[in-house]
This record gives sequence, C-alpha cells and structure tokens, in this order.
Amino acid sequence: MHIIEATGLSYRFSRNDRPVLDNIQLQVKEGSIYGFLGPNGAGKTTTLRLILGLLRKQEGDISIFGEAFGRRRVALLRRIGTLIESPSVYGHLTATENLAVWQKVFQCPRSRIAEVLKIVGLQDTGSKKARQFSLGMKQRLGIAAALLHQPDLLVLDEPTNGLDPAGIVEMRELLKKLNKEQGITILISSHLLPEIEKLATDVGIIHRGQMLFQGTLEALMQRQRQASRIVMETGDNPAALQLLAGLHIPARMEDNGISLAAAEKSVLADINRQLVLQGIDVWRIAAVEEDLESVFMNLTNTN
Amino acid sequence: MTLSFIHSFQSEWLKSRRSLTSWLVIIGGFFIPLIFFIGRIVYREKTAAESASPEFWQNLAGQCWQLMALFLLPMGIILATSLITQIEFRNNTWKQVHTTPQSYSVIFWGKLAVIMAMLVQFFILFNIGIFLAGALPALLFPAIDYPQQPFPFRFFWDTGLRFFIASLPIVAMQYLISLQFRNFFVPLGAGIGLLLASLTVLEWEYGYLLPYSYSPYNFFILRGADMKALAGTDLEWYALGYSVLFIAVSFVLYIAKKDKG
Repeated sequence: MHIIEATGLSYRFSRNDRPVLDNIQLQVKEGSIYGFLGPNGAGKTTTLRLILGLLRKQEGDISIFGEAFGRRRVALLRRIGTLIESPSVYGHLTATENLAVWQKVFQCPRSRIAEVLKIVGLQDTGSKKARQFSLGMKQRLGIAAALLHQPDLLVLDEPTNGLDPAGIVEMRELLKKLNKEQGITILISSHLLPEIEKLATDVGIIHRGQMLFQGTLEALMQRQRQASRIVMETGDNPAALQLLAGLHIPARMEDNGISLAAAEKSVLADINRQLVLQGIDVWRIAAVEEDLESVFMNLTNTN
Repeated sequence: MTLSFIHSFQSEWLKSRRSLTSWLVIIGGFFIPLIFFIGRIVYREKTAAESASPEFWQNLAGQCWQLMALFLLPMGIILATSLITQIEFRNNTWKQVHTTPQSYSVIFWGKLAVIMAMLVQFFILFNIGIFLAGALPALLFPAIDYPQQPFPFRFFWDTGLRFFIASLPIVAMQYLISLQFRNFFVPLGAGIGLLLASLTVLEWEYGYLLPYSYSPYNFFILRGADMKALAGTDLEWYALGYSVLFIAVSFVLYIAKKDKG
C-alpha cells in the first residue's frame, strides 16, 4: 500500500512562469524510508508543501493513507509529523513550552514532552529560551515536535540542515530506529546523496520540477552498476574498434581510448587475446566504476 | 469543533506567555493608574479633599480613561494585536500551525479569541488599577480618608464596555492586516496611519465614520459631549458593524490564502 500517492502534480507560482513542478508522480510505500533527492531549487520543498496542503493544489491528485488529502485534511494531519524547511520554534519559549504548544493541539499525554526531548537530546535545556539555541538544537526541537504525537508518517524537509557531523549520524540512526521499531513511514528530502544513500529504502530524484527517477535504492544501485564500463587503450585504437565490432561487442571511441560496457572477466580476457593475436598492442584495460553520485549527476545534468 | 477550539485557544494562550504583548497588557493596564496613585500620595492634602467627593470614583475613573482614550488605548491595541498575530511570521511557524490537525476556521477563531481575552485582561487590570489608585493611599497613609462614595460598579462596567466596543474595530482591522503581511511594519504603519487620520477628522461632521475614531470619541463623551447627536445613533453600533465587517473580510482572506506557510 502507498502511504502517499501524488499523481500528475504540477505547480506554477504565477500564470506566466514556467512550472516549478511538472507532472510529478510520487509514491511512498508503507514502512519505507523514502529519500526525496534533488539539487537546491529542484522542487522538493514545493512538492512537500503541496502534499501537506501548505500550498493550494493546482493540478494533480494527492492521497495520504489512501484518502484524498483535501477532504480529510484534519484527520490525516493527526497521523503526520512534519518538519518543513527551517525549524519552527517560538523563540521566547523554552523547549518544553514549545512542545506544550503542540501538545495542547494534538492532545497527546503531557509525558510525551519529556520523552521526545530525551529522544532528541534536549532534555537538559531547562529554562533556556529557544532563541538562544543553535540551529542544530532548533532543528532537533523541530524533530521533537514532529514526533510528539507518535505519527504514522514523518515528512521531513532537509532535517539535517544545521546539524554537525555527529548530529547527522545521530539523526540518521534515530530515523532508522523509528522506522524499524515503530514502523513509521518516513519521507525525507535532501540535496545530499550520501545522506539518502545511507538511510533510504526508496528514492525519488527530482530536478527542475521533473521526477527523473523513482524506485528502490537497489534499483538505483543497479543503474549504477549498469553505468559502469571498461576503458581500453591500444597501439591502434581504430583497428581494435573494428575487431570489437567483428566480435559483436558494442564499443565507442573516446578521448582516452575505447569505451565498452562492463563485462565478465573471461570476456575481457578473450578480447585481450584477440587483440594480441591481431598484432595490436594492449596498453591498458581498466574498469571505470560509476558511483551513485555520478549517476545522480548524470541524471540531473542530462535533463 | 468546540473541543478543538478550546485546545486551539489553550495552545495560542501558551504562545502568548512572556511575549511582548503579555507585558504590554500588564504594563499598559497599570501605567496610568500608577501615575494617579503617585500623584495622590505626593499631593496628599488635595487627595484628602477629593476622597470626600460624592463623585470620587467617577472623577478618578474619568480622568484615567480620558488619558487612555485619545491615543494610548488605540495605540496599545494596534501594537498588541499586531504583535500577537505576527508571532507566527516572526518565528516562521505558520507552516507548523497549518500542518497540525486543526481546521483553518479553528485556527482563525482561536487566535482572535486569545487577542480578545488579552483585551479583556487589559480592561480588568486597568479597572483594578483605578480602584487601587483610589483605595490604596487611604490604606497607606492615615491622613487620607478612604473614599466616602460607595464603589460604583455599574459606572465602571458601563464605561469599560463602551471602550471595549470602541476597541473592537481596531482589533478586527489590525488582525486582518497582520494575518496578511509578513512585515510587522505594515500592520503597525497602517494602524498608526488610520489612528492619526481618525484623530485629524474628529471634529468633521462625518468623522465618526472612521473605524479608529470611537475610542477618541469616548474621550469627548466622558467630558460631557453628546456624540449621539452628532452621529444620529449610538457610536457603539458603528463600532460593532465595522468589527463584524472586518472580521468577515479577514476570515475570507485568511481561508482563501493560497500560500499557508
């Protein structure tokens, strides 16, 4: 079952502007950690704001927990915890008072305030006002607010912004734990691939308002493996290319030699043997491994 | 609906804790009575004579309200309403408020109810302040007699109610503007502009049509002017009419807002 299903989402801020979102399809599976990835300004926050009703929908449909969001907004929001962009904290209140503001609305037990403060490591902030908090502390308070009412779905927009490296690791572990132990589905946006790579089970890649990829992290890695190739340098590259064509192996000439798709070791050994038998010197045969970052860059650069 | 409104009100009330507005209400409520209290203990001989007056409480309350009515009360309301409404813009929290399980109307009325509650709080504190300014000097200094006139509850209630109603159009208009604009100086500037415009045309025959004019007009009523003769009807009806209109427009604009945080 899809916890979030957005189909055909398009949005433009004014009639004459180009669309900031163009026919977005986004499906978040139950129990998944969905990493919503894209460079700054790609349309991640706009998509999340549309999903949560912060922006009025122009085109497309949004359903959450199988129900149309527009009609059941209040009931659905009761099951969702959110953190959108920069943290929302009342600077003149303490961490506990900030959470008490939301506790009154959600009507969850008051004891939850201490629990979530402990979860995010802010239990010792006492009477310190939130305006005196560092950005990372504010971000953690935002996470605490999102967790307060024990939601079934967390929608987090760049939650690691402002966190130090240790904080990022802690946040990642916390989200994994919530997902694993409490079954909370998480939709998390980020512009940092390594962050998503270490956390997500599913990935959506958005760029310039268009969804370039959506699938499991495994499917994205498969694409990475497929993108890996072999580069070969010989004493006579045109002759070598001709020989490969004769062997029905697709290859193309590049600046630094001949490029062909990744192949089994035995196939490479055979190619090498054939080249030598034809009197072509083989100077180098090397595997070029594409990392996920290159896949991401390729996806976003070609669109 | 009622329950979620109560929860929303509680949540909004918590936000106002230790805010500038809450201090404004307390300081604003006691400021003028404190001046009168100090005046009464500094000029004790005059105070002793005043205490014997059969209209002691009316005189004291009238003087306090006159100082308040012309500028301080409207200005305080402009500031307080704008500040409390702008809490969300200032703290970047509209997006969080609008992703809580509350209908937009509950959020709208919850916020407005807190502003109204703070206004009532101000009126209560102001009246307590007037009472203390009248009663305390006698308790502190034996030379001053306790006011001989029985405390006129009805007069205090009527005067307070008249000023409360006169304040409503200002609250409604400031609420409307503050919900729409992120920049705090927009509601503040608009409020000061409307107040100055109202003060400028007070003596114009149609001056009562300006929605910020009713508190200043009450200043003249306290001084004995017959404003009903000028407006053709009680000014309270104009004030209530404007308040309903502004709140209705504010509600429609708030609900129709495309970008909610």
